[in-house]
Amino acid sequence: MAHRGSALLAVPVLVLSLFLVGCPKRPATTAASAPPPTAPPAAAAPSTTPSMTPSMAAPATAAPSTTPPMPSEFMANDNLKDIHFDFDKYDIRGGDAKILDANATWLKTNDNLVLIEGHCDERGTSEYNLALGERRAKSTMNYLVAQGVQAARITIISYGKERPLCTEHTEDCWAKNRRAHFLVKAR
Amino acid sequence: MNQLTRRVRALALLAGLALLATLAGALSRPPAARSQGADVLLNVLATGAKKLNIVIPNFTVMTGNDTGGLARSMPQVTGRDLTFSSLFSVVTDVPPVAANDPGALKAAFANFASAGAHVGLQGLMSVRGDRTEVEMRLYDLTSPDFRLISSKKIELPSTQARRIAHKIADEVVLQFTGEAGVADTKIAYVSAASGNKELQMMDYDGAGVTRVTSNSSINLSPVWSPDSRSLAFTSYMRGYPYLYRLFPFENRPVQVLAGFLGINTSPAFSPDGRLVAMTLSRDGNPEVYVLNLATGAFRRLTTYSGIDTEPTWSPTGREIAFVSERAGGAPQIFVMDAEGANVRRLTQSGFNTQPRWSPKGDAIVYTSRQGNFDLWAIGPDGSNLRRMTAGPGNNESASWAPNGRHLVFQSNRLGSYQLFTMLADGSEQQPLTRGPGESTSAAWSPRLP
Repeated sequence: MAHRGSALLAVPVLVLSLFLVGCPKRPATTAASAPPPTAPPAAAAPSTTPSMTPSMAAPATAAPSTTPPMPSEFMANDNLKDIHFDFDKYDIRGGDAKILDANATWLKTNDNLVLIEGHCDERGTSEYNLALGERRAKSTMNYLVAQGVQAARITIISYGKERPLCTEHTEDCWAKNRRAHFLVKAR
Repeated sequence: MNQLTRRVRALALLAGLALLATLAGALSRPPAARSQGADVLLNVLATGAKKLNIVIPNFTVMTGNDTGGLARSMPQVTGRDLTFSSLFSVVTDVPPVAANDPGALKAAFANFASAGAHVGLQGLMSVRGDRTEVEMRLYDLTSPDFRLISSKKIELPSTQARRIAHKIADEVVLQFTGEAGVADTKIAYVSAASGNKELQMMDYDGAGVTRVTSNSSINLSPVWSPDSRSLAFTSYMRGYPYLYRLFPFENRPVQVLAGFLGINTSPAFSPDGRLVAMTLSRDGNPEVYVLNLATGAFRRLTTYSGIDTEPTWSPTGREIAFVSERAGGAPQIFVMDAEGANVRRLTQSGFNTQPRWSPKGDAIVYTSRQGNFDLWAIGPDGSNLRRMTAGPGNNESASWAPNGRHLVFQSNRLGSYQLFTMLADGSEQQPLTRGPGESTSAAWSPRLP
């Protein structure tokens, strides 16, 4: 027990330099992370889609199989307006459909890559809201694809309730946060 | 130190060693010792007392120098652990009782007993180099001869002296209840103190806060592996919400558990540590999957076309409770077997998420929104539905201590979100963190090895 205890250091800082890009401060950790871990084989690295086993359900629908660009490479564009959702819902309402129609028109004449963010208000719990935000982004994407925007141009990302526009505990603020937001990037 | 004192000390040491030799068997907890402790507890409770009264004198320094004042501080830590267990009324900050002087020991114990103490805990401390050892001796003060219930030596680097104190408390609880306490555990959680949501961890009592991530992105939902060596969590450190595993006590690189398109969230290790349940939307909508860590294979468990998320394992590993909106309307808690079959609904009304299955198996705590968020619990068969929190503010995101007797959760009842603890029946709610910066998403570790 004493030996096991010695591995449990009370040293204050265990800063993990996990991925070499963007963490130049810790070369020692970089060296340690070079060889693959001897632990059980980890699941897929993000740059590849791991193969499915026979026990999997139906294969994924048509979606890009390569790593999408980093969200930070996308930028907002005034031509693409946000849409909003009812509480705990991810269906596209009538008025928002008209906004999406306009967004689709612009996208079909401007051949960019698109990132659709899905967001939630604070009244769901953290994990559930990640799923709800995902559904909102997906519904939005599906609508645009149905309007003729190529699916391969679109990436979605859920932020749940982690990136609110406002933080007041009011109906008005909550409504603002329940949104899909658009960013673009040149091909 | 004069000749006489040296001789007394040498004799004391010899006596201590002889005692140790005879008690070697006690270290493996023979049944007689355990049942004696439980008998004391039962007898005391039968008198109408609610708790065992325990006196923990300051420890006796046998060898070496106690430059850090551990002989006084460690009993305080042990005392707070035993108070937290809700089984004991504790008296500490009492001068040390004589080591290996039976007459003086008896006199001191007689004093304690007449003051109402049921139990005496003595600690004999030795400092050798950078290591500290405490031999703990637990005495039944309700017996006329103040019988020794158990004795155990615990030794660790001196930098981990608090862990010695926690392990002593856990041994005391073991002697009286048959199950070890939970003082030698950690709590991992999300801290917004730096401006970003990063993982931190601390001792269960709030001491020893350490940073676990420092990637300046969004880090969420830490959960412990059953061997307490790793944490799985969701992070946006590479832009998109991927699932990772890191090893906070070892110098090992972080591993990617799942990095598919869409969300990779809600990790939960199976009780045997071989599998990780999670939520992936790679097939088009959020579903519950299970990853086999040894083979790297993913298996999808749910098929409903809407949201399925937040899996939590039963302690047998044979069932999984989860959140689904398949009932139409607000999300509810469902239960399925570990292969995804035999889905049944558990909660009926309210907006219900964040289920966590008790290590005892008899309850699932969850967060229900009926106005504010509050914590509720329900039996796996749907019986014994009970509310655990009420009052102003939100109470969410509960995690069980490994003995199923305590929970840690987040509450903003005092303003910002901080961590609180409570007993499994909802009583004794008390703050654990204070800020600055919000603390959320707590995960109580298994007992540390």
